[in-house]
Amino acid sequence: MNPDREVVQAAHALTLWFRGVSVEINHLSRNVASLLESSLAGRSTVNKGALVGLEELAHEFLTRNASAIGAGMFFATDSIDEGGRPREWWTREPDGALKRLDFDSTPGSRRYYDYEKLPFFSAAASTGEQTLWGPYVDYLGFEDYILTVSAPFWVRGRFMGVVGCDIRLRDLEPLIMPTLRLIHDNAALINASNRVILGNSGMYLVGERVRSESAHQHRLALDVPHLGLSLIYTTTT
Amino acid sequence: MVIPTPFQSQIYRSLPEIERADAIVDRITTAIRLGLLKVGERLPPEAALSEMFGVGGATLREALAELREQGVVETRRGRSGGTFVVTQPRPQTDSIREWFLSTSISEIRDIGDEQAAVAAAIIRLACERAEAHDVERLQELARALVLATSPEGRALADSRFHIELAVSAQSPRLANAEIRLQEETVQQLWTPIAAALDPEPATAEHLELVRAVAQDQPAKAGNLVLEHIRRNIYHLIDTKLTLGYARSNQDAP
Repeated sequence: MNPDREVVQAAHALTLWFRGVSVEINHLSRNVASLLESSLAGRSTVNKGALVGLEELAHEFLTRNASAIGAGMFFATDSIDEGGRPREWWTREPDGALKRLDFDSTPGSRRYYDYEKLPFFSAAASTGEQTLWGPYVDYLGFEDYILTVSAPFWVRGRFMGVVGCDIRLRDLEPLIMPTLRLIHDNAALINASNRVILGNSGMYLVGERVRSESAHQHRLALDVPHLGLSLIYTTTT
Repeated sequence: MVIPTPFQSQIYRSLPEIERADAIVDRITTAIRLGLLKVGERLPPEAALSEMFGVGGATLREALAELREQGVVETRRGRSGGTFVVTQPRPQTDSIREWFLSTSISEIRDIGDEQAAVAAAIIRLACERAEAHDVERLQELARALVLATSPEGRALADSRFHIELAVSAQSPRLANAEIRLQEETVQQLWTPIAAALDPEPATAEHLELVRAVAQDQPAKAGNLVLEHIRRNIYHLIDTKLTLGYARSNQDAP
Protein backbone atom coordinates (compact mmCIF):
# COMPACT_ATOMS: atom_id res chain seq x y z
CA MET A 1 0.00 0.00 0.00
CA ASN A 2 1.14 3.52 -0.65
CA PRO A 3 1.94 5.64 2.36
CA ASP A 4 -0.44 8.46 3.15
CA ARG A 5 0.35 11.96 2.06
CA GLU A 6 1.08 12.95 5.69
CA VAL A 7 3.64 10.14 6.03
CA VAL A 8 5.38 11.15 2.81
CA GLN A 9 5.37 14.77 3.92
CA ALA A 10 6.87 13.90 7.32
CA ALA A 11 9.49 11.60 5.77
CA HIS A 12 10.46 14.38 3.40
CA ALA A 13 10.85 16.94 6.21
CA LEU A 14 12.92 14.50 8.31
CA THR A 15 15.10 13.63 5.31
CA LEU A 16 15.84 17.30 4.69
CA TRP A 17 16.68 17.91 8.34
CA PHE A 18 19.13 14.99 8.62
CA ARG A 19 20.65 15.73 5.22
CA GLY A 20 21.40 19.17 6.60
CA VAL A 21 23.33 17.64 9.50
CA SER A 22 25.06 15.23 7.14
CA VAL A 23 26.22 18.02 4.82
CA GLU A 24 27.54 20.01 7.77
CA ILE A 25 29.53 17.04 9.10
CA ASN A 26 31.05 16.36 5.67
CA HIS A 27 31.98 20.01 5.50
CA LEU A 28 33.68 19.82 8.92
CA SER A 29 35.50 16.64 7.89
CA ARG A 30 36.87 18.30 4.71
CA ASN A 31 37.89 21.45 6.60
CA VAL A 32 39.73 19.46 9.27
CA ALA A 33 41.51 17.36 6.65
CA SER A 34 42.69 20.36 4.65
CA LEU A 35 43.82 22.24 7.77
CA LEU A 36 45.86 19.21 8.92
CA GLU A 37 47.25 18.68 5.48
CA SER A 38 48.88 22.08 5.57
CA SER A 39 49.82 22.10 9.28
CA LEU A 40 51.40 18.63 9.16
CA ALA A 41 53.50 19.60 6.15
CA GLY A 42 54.26 16.02 5.20
CA ARG A 43 54.56 14.52 8.71
CA SER A 44 52.23 11.60 9.36
CA THR A 45 51.48 12.11 13.06
CA VAL A 46 49.79 14.98 14.84
CA ASN A 47 51.69 16.92 17.49
CA LYS A 48 50.38 19.75 19.64
CA GLY A 49 51.32 22.41 17.12
CA ALA A 50 49.30 20.76 14.39
CA LEU A 51 46.15 21.16 16.45
CA VAL A 52 46.14 24.94 16.04
CA GLY A 53 43.05 26.08 14.17
CA LEU A 54 40.90 23.02 14.95
CA GLU A 55 39.18 24.84 17.81
CA GLU A 56 38.09 27.55 15.41
CA LEU A 57 36.59 24.97 13.05
CA ALA A 58 34.64 23.31 15.87
CA HIS A 59 33.43 26.69 17.13
CA GLU A 60 32.34 27.67 13.66
CA PHE A 61 30.45 24.38 13.39
CA LEU A 62 28.68 24.87 16.72
CA THR A 63 27.78 28.44 15.84
CA ARG A 64 26.20 27.34 12.56
CA ASN A 65 24.45 24.30 14.05
CA ALA A 66 22.43 25.36 17.07
CA SER A 67 20.94 21.88 17.54
CA ALA A 68 24.35 20.31 18.30
CA ILE A 69 25.51 20.36 21.92
CA GLY A 70 29.08 19.34 21.12
CA ALA A 71 31.45 18.91 18.18
CA GLY A 72 35.06 18.14 17.46
CA MET A 73 37.40 15.39 16.43
CA PHE A 74 38.97 12.19 17.76
CA PHE A 75 42.30 10.99 16.36
CA ALA A 76 43.28 7.39 15.71
CA THR A 77 45.89 6.44 18.34
CA ASP A 78 48.55 5.72 15.74
CA SER A 79 48.14 9.13 14.18
CA ILE A 80 49.11 11.15 17.26
CA ASP A 81 52.56 12.03 18.54
CA GLU A 82 53.72 11.52 22.09
CA GLY A 83 52.23 14.51 23.96
CA GLY A 84 49.62 15.19 21.29
CA ARG A 85 45.99 15.21 22.41
CA PRO A 86 43.90 12.27 21.16
CA ARG A 87 40.69 14.30 21.00
CA GLU A 88 39.58 17.88 20.55
CA TRP A 89 35.95 18.31 21.58
CA TRP A 90 33.94 21.39 22.49
CA THR A 91 30.54 21.59 24.11
CA ARG A 92 27.95 24.28 24.52
CA GLU A 93 27.49 25.39 28.12
CA PRO A 94 23.99 26.29 29.43
CA ASP A 95 24.89 29.99 29.02
CA GLY A 96 25.90 29.43 25.38
CA ALA A 97 29.67 29.63 25.97
CA LEU A 98 31.78 26.96 24.25
CA LYS A 99 34.03 24.90 26.46
CA ARG A 100 36.64 22.23 25.83
CA LEU A 101 35.50 18.84 27.12
CA ASP A 102 38.13 16.84 28.99
CA PHE A 103 38.19 13.09 28.73
CA ASP A 104 40.28 10.66 30.69
CA SER A 105 42.63 9.14 28.13
CA THR A 106 44.81 7.06 30.43
CA PRO A 107 44.25 3.41 29.50
CA GLY A 108 43.45 1.37 32.58
CA SER A 109 42.19 4.28 34.65
CA ARG A 110 38.71 4.06 36.10
CA ARG A 111 37.24 6.70 33.86
CA TYR A 112 39.17 5.86 30.70
CA TYR A 113 37.12 6.82 27.65
CA ASP A 114 38.07 4.18 25.09
CA TYR A 115 36.59 6.02 22.14
CA GLU A 116 38.25 3.86 19.48
CA LYS A 117 35.99 1.00 20.56
CA LEU A 118 32.84 3.11 20.48
CA PRO A 119 30.66 2.77 17.36
CA PHE A 120 30.73 6.47 16.44
CA PHE A 121 34.49 6.03 15.94
CA SER A 122 34.87 2.38 14.95
CA ALA A 123 32.00 2.35 12.43
CA ALA A 124 33.24 5.49 10.70
CA ALA A 125 36.78 4.08 10.70
CA SER A 126 35.86 0.65 9.30
CA THR A 127 33.33 1.75 6.68
CA GLY A 128 35.04 4.97 5.66
CA GLU A 129 31.59 6.56 5.60
CA GLN A 130 29.52 8.87 7.71
CA THR A 131 27.61 7.17 10.50
CA LEU A 132 24.90 7.87 13.06
CA TRP A 133 25.11 6.28 16.49
CA GLY A 134 22.48 6.51 19.16
CA PRO A 135 20.36 7.12 21.08
CA TYR A 136 23.00 6.11 23.64
CA VAL A 137 24.07 7.07 27.15
CA ASP A 138 27.52 8.57 26.59
CA TYR A 139 29.05 7.32 29.82
CA LEU A 140 32.42 8.98 30.58
CA GLY A 141 32.11 11.18 27.50
CA PHE A 142 29.52 13.92 27.46
CA GLU A 143 27.46 11.86 29.93
CA ASP A 144 24.07 12.57 28.49
CA TYR A 145 21.54 10.75 26.35
CA ILE A 146 22.62 11.64 22.83
CA LEU A 147 22.94 10.90 19.12
CA THR A 148 26.35 11.26 17.48
CA VAL A 149 26.82 11.87 13.77
CA SER A 150 30.42 11.26 12.74
CA ALA A 151 32.57 11.02 9.63
CA PRO A 152 36.14 9.85 9.00
CA PHE A 153 38.87 12.13 7.68
CA TRP A 154 42.08 11.32 5.82
CA VAL A 155 45.28 13.21 5.15
CA ARG A 156 47.08 12.16 1.98
CA GLY A 157 45.09 8.93 1.87
CA ARG A 158 45.88 8.01 5.46
CA PHE A 159 43.01 7.57 7.95
CA MET A 160 43.59 10.06 10.78
CA GLY A 161 40.41 9.97 12.87
CA VAL A 162 36.77 11.08 12.90
CA VAL A 163 34.94 14.35 13.25
CA GLY A 164 31.48 14.43 14.73
CA CYS A 165 28.77 16.21 16.60
CA ASP A 166 26.50 15.29 19.50
CA ILE A 167 22.79 16.07 19.60
CA ARG A 168 20.94 15.59 22.88
CA LEU A 169 17.68 13.66 22.60
CA ARG A 170 16.00 16.36 24.66
CA ASP A 171 17.09 19.01 22.14
CA LEU A 172 16.11 16.89 19.14
CA GLU A 173 12.58 16.24 20.41
CA PRO A 174 11.16 19.77 19.93
CA LEU A 175 12.87 19.98 16.51
CA ILE A 176 11.38 16.86 14.95
CA MET A 177 8.29 16.07 17.05
CA PRO A 178 6.09 18.59 15.18
CA THR A 179 6.95 16.70 11.98
CA LEU A 180 6.19 13.30 13.50
CA ARG A 181 2.92 14.68 14.86
CA LEU A 182 1.80 15.38 11.30
CA ILE A 183 1.23 11.62 11.12
CA HIS A 184 -1.98 10.58 12.84
CA ASP A 185 -1.06 6.89 13.12
CA ASN A 186 1.59 5.72 15.57
CA ALA A 187 4.91 6.53 13.95
CA ALA A 188 8.58 6.73 14.84
CA LEU A 189 11.95 7.63 13.46
CA ILE A 190 14.29 4.65 13.95
CA ASN A 191 17.99 4.06 13.40
CA ALA A 192 19.78 1.28 11.51
CA SER A 193 19.49 -1.11 14.49
CA ASN A 194 15.71 -0.60 14.75
CA ARG A 195 16.06 1.59 17.83
CA VAL A 196 13.54 4.36 18.26
CA ILE A 197 15.03 7.86 18.04
CA LEU A 198 11.66 9.51 18.60
CA GLY A 199 8.05 8.36 18.38
CA ASN A 200 4.88 10.42 18.10
CA SER A 201 3.03 8.57 20.88
CA GLY A 202 3.58 6.23 23.81
CA MET A 203 3.63 3.24 21.43
CA TYR A 204 7.17 3.87 20.20
CA LEU A 205 9.35 5.17 23.02
CA VAL A 206 12.79 6.65 22.47
CA GLY A 207 15.53 4.07 23.09
CA GLU A 208 13.28 1.02 22.70
CA ARG A 209 13.91 -1.50 19.93
CA VAL A 210 11.19 -2.24 17.44
CA ARG A 211 10.99 -6.00 17.20
CA SER A 212 7.69 -7.09 15.75
CA GLU A 213 7.17 -6.68 12.04
CA SER A 214 3.41 -6.94 11.93
CA ALA A 215 1.37 -6.60 8.77
CA HIS A 216 0.19 -3.22 10.03
CA GLN A 217 3.68 -1.88 10.55
CA HIS A 218 5.22 -0.15 7.55
CA ARG A 219 8.68 1.17 6.94
CA LEU A 220 9.95 3.98 4.78
CA ALA A 221 13.73 4.36 4.48
CA LEU A 222 14.89 7.98 4.56
CA ASP A 223 17.14 9.00 1.71
CA VAL A 224 20.03 10.24 3.81
CA PRO A 225 23.23 8.42 2.74
CA HIS A 226 24.80 6.03 5.30
CA LEU A 227 22.81 7.17 8.35
CA GLY A 228 20.44 4.18 8.25
CA LEU A 229 17.33 6.15 9.20
CA SER A 230 13.79 4.91 8.60
CA LEU A 231 10.31 6.06 9.42
CA ILE A 232 7.96 3.37 10.68
CA TYR A 233 4.23 3.75 11.14
CA THR A 234 1.34 1.49 11.98
CA THR A 235 -1.98 1.53 10.25
CA THR A 236 -5.11 0.12 11.78
CA THR A 237 -6.63 -1.11 8.54
CA MET B 1 43.20 10.29 38.73
CA VAL B 2 39.48 10.90 38.61
CA ILE B 3 38.68 13.80 36.36
CA PRO B 4 35.27 15.33 37.03
CA THR B 5 33.25 15.47 33.81
CA PRO B 6 31.07 18.49 32.99
CA PHE B 7 28.13 16.38 34.06
CA GLN B 8 29.65 15.89 37.51
CA SER B 9 30.73 19.49 37.96
CA GLN B 10 27.15 20.43 37.16
CA ILE B 11 25.94 18.22 40.02
CA TYR B 12 28.48 19.37 42.54
CA ARG B 13 28.42 23.08 41.83
CA SER B 14 28.03 25.16 44.96
CA LEU B 15 24.51 26.18 45.82
CA PRO B 16 23.65 29.85 46.03
CA GLU B 17 21.94 30.72 49.34
CA ILE B 18 18.71 31.63 47.57
CA GLU B 19 18.46 28.18 45.95
CA ARG B 20 18.90 26.55 49.33
CA ALA B 21 15.98 28.51 50.81
CA ASP B 22 13.85 27.59 47.78
CA ALA B 23 14.88 23.97 48.16
CA ILE B 24 13.66 23.97 51.78
CA VAL B 25 10.33 25.49 50.73
CA ASP B 26 10.01 22.79 48.05
CA ARG B 27 10.86 19.97 50.42
CA ILE B 28 8.34 21.06 53.01
CA THR B 29 5.48 21.76 50.61
CA THR B 30 6.05 18.45 48.82
CA ALA B 31 6.13 16.62 52.15
CA ILE B 32 2.79 18.18 53.08
CA ARG B 33 1.27 17.28 49.70
CA LEU B 34 2.40 13.69 50.08
CA GLY B 35 1.02 13.54 53.60
CA LEU B 36 4.44 13.04 55.19
CA LEU B 37 3.71 16.20 57.22
CA LYS B 38 0.15 16.71 58.37
CA VAL B 39 -1.89 19.85 58.94
CA GLY B 40 -1.58 20.72 62.64
CA GLU B 41 1.86 19.15 62.93
CA ARG B 42 4.65 21.17 64.55
CA LEU B 43 7.96 21.46 62.68
CA PRO B 44 11.14 20.88 64.72
CA PRO B 45 12.64 24.01 66.38
CA GLU B 46 14.56 26.42 64.13
CA ALA B 47 17.97 25.45 65.47
CA ALA B 48 17.29 21.76 64.79
CA LEU B 49 15.93 22.53 61.31
CA SER B 50 18.96 24.56 60.26
CA GLU B 51 21.25 21.83 61.51
CA MET B 52 19.32 19.09 59.68
CA PHE B 53 19.12 21.04 56.43
CA GLY B 54 22.74 22.12 56.87
CA VAL B 55 21.96 25.81 56.32
CA GLY B 56 22.56 28.98 58.30
CA GLY B 57 19.85 30.55 60.46
CA ALA B 58 19.26 33.36 57.96
CA THR B 59 18.57 30.94 55.08
CA LEU B 60 16.20 28.90 57.22
CA ARG B 61 14.31 32.01 58.39
CA GLU B 62 14.02 33.10 54.76
CA ALA B 63 12.48 29.73 53.85
CA LEU B 64 10.05 29.84 56.79
CA ALA B 65 9.04 33.40 55.90
CA GLU B 66 8.21 32.22 52.36
CA LEU B 67 6.15 29.31 53.73
CA ARG B 68 4.29 31.75 56.04
CA GLU B 69 3.70 34.06 53.09
CA GLN B 70 2.16 31.13 51.14
CA GLY B 71 -0.02 30.47 54.19
CA VAL B 72 1.28 26.94 54.53
CA VAL B 73 2.76 27.34 58.01
CA GLU B 74 2.15 29.67 60.93
CA THR B 75 4.55 30.60 63.71
CA ARG B 76 3.07 30.95 67.19
CA ARG B 77 4.85 32.54 70.16
CA GLY B 78 4.80 31.36 73.72
CA ARG B 79 5.30 28.12 75.64
CA SER B 80 3.34 25.90 73.30
CA GLY B 81 4.61 27.94 70.34
CA GLY B 82 6.58 26.90 67.26
CA THR B 83 5.99 26.61 63.54
CA PHE B 84 2.88 24.63 62.58
CA VAL B 85 1.56 23.30 59.30
CA VAL B 86 -1.79 25.07 58.88
CA THR B 87 -2.95 24.23 55.39
CA GLN B 88 -2.37 22.13 52.28
CA PRO B 89 -0.27 24.04 49.74
CA ARG B 90 -2.26 25.22 46.72
CA PRO B 91 -1.98 23.04 43.63
CA GLN B 92 0.75 24.50 41.49
CA THR B 93 -0.74 24.31 38.02
CA ASP B 94 1.94 26.65 36.68
CA SER B 95 4.82 24.60 37.97
CA ILE B 96 3.16 21.39 36.76
CA ARG B 97 2.72 22.86 33.28
CA GLU B 98 6.33 24.02 33.38
CA TRP B 99 7.44 20.48 34.30
CA PHE B 100 5.66 19.04 31.27
CA LEU B 101 7.11 21.63 28.94
CA SER B 102 10.67 21.30 30.22
CA THR B 103 10.84 17.50 30.60
CA SER B 104 11.54 15.58 27.39
CA ILE B 105 9.88 12.31 26.45
CA SER B 106 13.19 10.50 26.80
CA GLU B 107 13.44 11.79 30.38
CA ILE B 108 9.85 10.74 31.18
CA ARG B 109 10.57 7.27 29.78
CA ASP B 110 13.71 7.15 31.92
CA ILE B 111 11.75 8.06 35.08
CA GLY B 112 9.45 5.14 34.23
CA ASP B 113 12.47 2.84 33.84
CA GLU B 114 13.67 3.75 37.32
CA GLN B 115 10.18 3.43 38.81
CA ALA B 116 9.89 -0.02 37.22
CA ALA B 117 13.23 -1.13 38.68
CA VAL B 118 12.39 0.07 42.18
CA ALA B 119 8.80 -1.22 42.05
CA ALA B 120 9.88 -4.67 40.82
CA ALA B 121 12.21 -5.08 43.80
CA ILE B 122 9.62 -3.75 46.25
CA ILE B 123 6.84 -6.03 45.05
CA ARG B 124 9.05 -9.14 45.16
CA LEU B 125 10.08 -8.39 48.74
CA ALA B 126 6.53 -7.44 49.74
CA CYS B 127 5.35 -10.89 48.57
CA GLU B 128 7.96 -12.51 50.80
CA ARG B 129 7.69 -10.24 53.80
CA ALA B 130 4.25 -8.65 54.10
CA GLU B 131 1.93 -10.05 56.76
CA ALA B 132 -1.83 -10.01 57.19
CA HIS B 133 -2.05 -6.58 58.80
CA ASP B 134 0.10 -5.07 56.01
CA VAL B 135 -2.32 -6.49 53.48
CA GLU B 136 -5.33 -5.02 55.27
CA ARG B 137 -3.66 -1.65 55.48
CA LEU B 138 -2.73 -1.72 51.79
CA GLN B 139 -6.32 -2.57 50.84
CA GLU B 140 -7.53 0.39 52.81
CA LEU B 141 -4.95 2.69 51.18
CA ALA B 142 -5.88 1.36 47.73
CA ARG B 143 -9.56 2.22 48.30
CA ALA B 144 -8.63 5.73 49.47
CA LEU B 145 -7.66 6.54 45.89
CA VAL B 146 -11.13 6.08 44.43
CA LEU B 147 -12.67 7.87 47.42
CA ALA B 148 -10.50 10.98 47.00
CA THR B 149 -12.40 13.95 45.63
CA SER B 150 -9.67 16.20 44.21
CA PRO B 151 -6.57 15.73 42.03
CA GLU B 152 -4.40 16.61 45.04
CA GLY B 153 -6.25 14.03 47.14
CA ARG B 154 -5.71 11.37 44.47
CA ALA B 155 -2.02 12.23 44.22
CA LEU B 156 -1.74 11.89 47.98
CA ALA B 157 -3.59 8.56 48.10
CA ASP B 158 -1.69 7.13 45.14
CA SER B 159 1.75 8.02 46.44
CA ARG B 160 0.83 6.86 49.93
CA PHE B 161 -0.15 3.44 48.58
CA HIS B 162 3.15 2.98 46.75
CA ILE B 163 5.25 4.23 49.66
CA GLU B 164 3.48 1.91 52.11
CA LEU B 165 3.97 -1.00 49.73
CA ALA B 166 7.71 -0.32 50.11
CA VAL B 167 7.20 -0.09 53.87
CA SER B 168 5.62 -3.57 53.83
CA ALA B 169 8.72 -4.79 51.98
CA GLN B 170 10.73 -3.87 55.12
CA SER B 171 13.32 -1.84 53.22
CA PRO B 172 13.99 1.74 54.35
CA ARG B 173 16.22 2.31 51.31
CA LEU B 174 13.56 1.18 48.85
CA ALA B 175 10.95 3.22 50.74
CA ASN B 176 13.17 6.30 50.41
CA ALA B 177 13.68 5.63 46.70
CA GLU B 178 9.89 5.27 46.29
CA ILE B 179 9.28 8.55 48.19
CA ARG B 180 11.72 10.36 45.89
CA LEU B 181 10.12 8.90 42.76
CA GLN B 182 6.60 9.70 43.96
CA GLU B 183 7.59 13.28 44.76
CA GLU B 184 8.91 13.62 41.26
CA THR B 185 5.77 12.70 39.28
CA VAL B 186 2.62 12.01 41.31
CA GLN B 187 1.22 15.56 41.05
CA GLN B 188 1.82 15.50 37.30
CA LEU B 189 0.07 12.14 37.02
CA TRP B 190 -3.20 13.27 38.60
CA THR B 191 -3.40 16.83 37.34
CA PRO B 192 -6.38 17.34 35.04
CA ILE B 193 -4.31 19.86 33.04
CA ALA B 194 -4.82 17.93 29.76
CA ALA B 195 -6.91 14.77 30.27
CA ALA B 196 -7.65 13.53 33.79
CA LEU B 197 -6.54 10.03 34.75
CA ASP B 198 -9.41 7.78 35.82
CA PRO B 199 -8.94 6.68 39.47
CA GLU B 200 -11.14 3.58 39.09
CA PRO B 201 -8.85 1.39 36.96
CA ALA B 202 -5.87 2.62 39.01
CA THR B 203 -7.62 1.55 42.22
CA ALA B 204 -8.56 -1.80 40.68
CA GLU B 205 -4.89 -2.32 39.75
CA HIS B 206 -3.76 -1.43 43.28
CA LEU B 207 -6.25 -3.91 44.77
CA GLU B 208 -5.16 -6.62 42.36
CA LEU B 209 -1.55 -5.96 43.38
CA VAL B 210 -2.47 -6.33 47.06
CA ARG B 211 -4.22 -9.66 46.28
CA ALA B 212 -1.10 -10.94 44.51
CA VAL B 213 1.01 -9.89 47.53
CA ALA B 214 -1.44 -11.56 49.93
CA GLN B 215 -1.29 -14.79 47.92
CA ASP B 216 2.50 -14.58 47.60
CA GLN B 217 2.51 -14.61 43.79
CA PRO B 218 5.65 -12.63 42.97
CA ALA B 219 5.62 -13.28 39.20
CA LYS B 220 2.03 -12.15 38.82
CA ALA B 221 2.57 -9.14 41.14
CA GLY B 222 5.70 -8.18 39.20
CA ASN B 223 3.85 -8.17 35.88
CA LEU B 224 0.96 -6.20 37.35
CA VAL B 225 3.18 -3.49 38.79
CA LEU B 226 5.14 -3.09 35.53
CA GLU B 227 1.90 -2.79 33.56
CA HIS B 228 0.61 -0.24 36.09
CA ILE B 229 3.75 1.88 35.71
CA ARG B 230 3.71 1.60 31.93
CA ARG B 231 0.16 2.92 31.86
CA ASN B 232 1.10 5.85 34.11
CA ILE B 233 4.11 6.71 31.95
CA TYR B 234 1.94 6.61 28.81
CA HIS B 235 -0.44 9.00 30.49
CA LEU B 236 2.42 11.41 31.34
CA ILE B 237 3.71 11.21 27.75
CA ASP B 238 0.21 11.82 26.35
CA THR B 239 -0.11 14.87 28.58
CA LYS B 240 3.31 16.06 27.44
CA LEU B 241 2.33 15.60 23.77
CA THR B 242 -0.96 17.45 24.27
CA LEU B 243 0.65 20.39 26.09
CA GLY B 244 3.86 20.57 24.11
CA TYR B 245 2.97 19.40 20.62
CA ALA B 246 -0.66 20.05 19.81
CA ARG B 247 -1.38 18.62 16.38
CA SER B 248 -1.76 21.13 13.61
CA ASN B 249 -0.68 21.28 10.01
CA GLN B 250 1.28 24.47 10.34
CA ASP B 251 3.99 23.47 12.75
CA ALA B 252 6.31 21.43 10.57
CA PRO B 253 9.93 22.67 10.72
